[in-house]
Amino acid sequence: MIDTNFINPFLAATLHVLKVQASIEAVPGKVVLKKDGDHLLGDVSGVIGLVCENFTGSVVISFPEKTFLNVMSGMLGEEYLELNKEILDGAGEITNMIFGQAKIVLNEKGYGIKTALPSVISGKGHTLSSLSKGPIIVVPFTSPAGEFFVEIFLSA
Amino acid sequence: MFDPKTKVLVVDDMSTMRKIVIKIVKDLGFTDIHEAADGNEAWKHISNSGETPFGLVISDWNMPNCTGLEFLKRIRSDQKVSKTPFILVTAEAEGHQVAEAVKAGVDQYVVKPFSRDSLRDKLEALHKKVSKAA
Repeated sequence: MIDTNFINPFLAATLHVLKVQASIEAVPGKVVLKKDGDHLLGDVSGVIGLVCENFTGSVVISFPEKTFLNVMSGMLGEEYLELNKEILDGAGEITNMIFGQAKIVLNEKGYGIKTALPSVISGKGHTLSSLSKGPIIVVPFTSPAGEFFVEIFLSA
Repeated sequence: MFDPKTKVLVVDDMSTMRKIVIKIVKDLGFTDIHEAADGNEAWKHISNSGETPFGLVISDWNMPNCTGLEFLKRIRSDQKVSKTPFILVTAEAEGHQVAEAVKAGVDQYVVKPFSRDSLRDKLEALHKKVSKAA
């Protein structure tokens, strides 16, 4: 069972962050549960730890390379055609902003989510092992910049 | 608005966000812009600023090594630079966090994500505040 009260603030924050910071209107698709582990759906992923009183986990925003380049072009106001060190941490910044916005809403409901620093993982077909032993909630998004995914890993 | 010659320090651990903020302040006419990746590095800029002190700091909060809040407290507790105008640009925006930053002496607070116009408005409001106090 997916707790929409918990997931929805992340969806709303994703839409808000991309609209305000990159002028991109994204549309969420159907939320699905992924049971088969640690293979992420994109080439560049921002990851942030989710630590609160009752559970731990991680929030991951995972972009295919082309989408990421389009999003960075929107955020920075100049065109990027290939990945470089200079823009990779943008995935971390987007994750940080989404996490921050969702944290405000969820902590008002008493979740007690703690502040965390994001990190970035990149490479074709990269994995995130040992993030969670539980199911992974995946929300696909479509946008003019391309598709991307929000993945929420939770452990009790 | 601030004199475009004002010495500006932009602090964020994410180079992408520094790039965004620097682009906005450049568009607003500022020319003397410096950058740092955390509060410790930023403090080195402040304490080595020589005869031309920084007239504006735009800093993230959530950074490794030394956070923006720790950096702000360091500035406010040093008599030589304690009045440096300071804006926090941060994704940390829960009520208790804003209150903590105000208590520490922040002048303006911008919540990420933000538009060019919202940062410009905060800079204008800060300039009015600084001018009144002078």
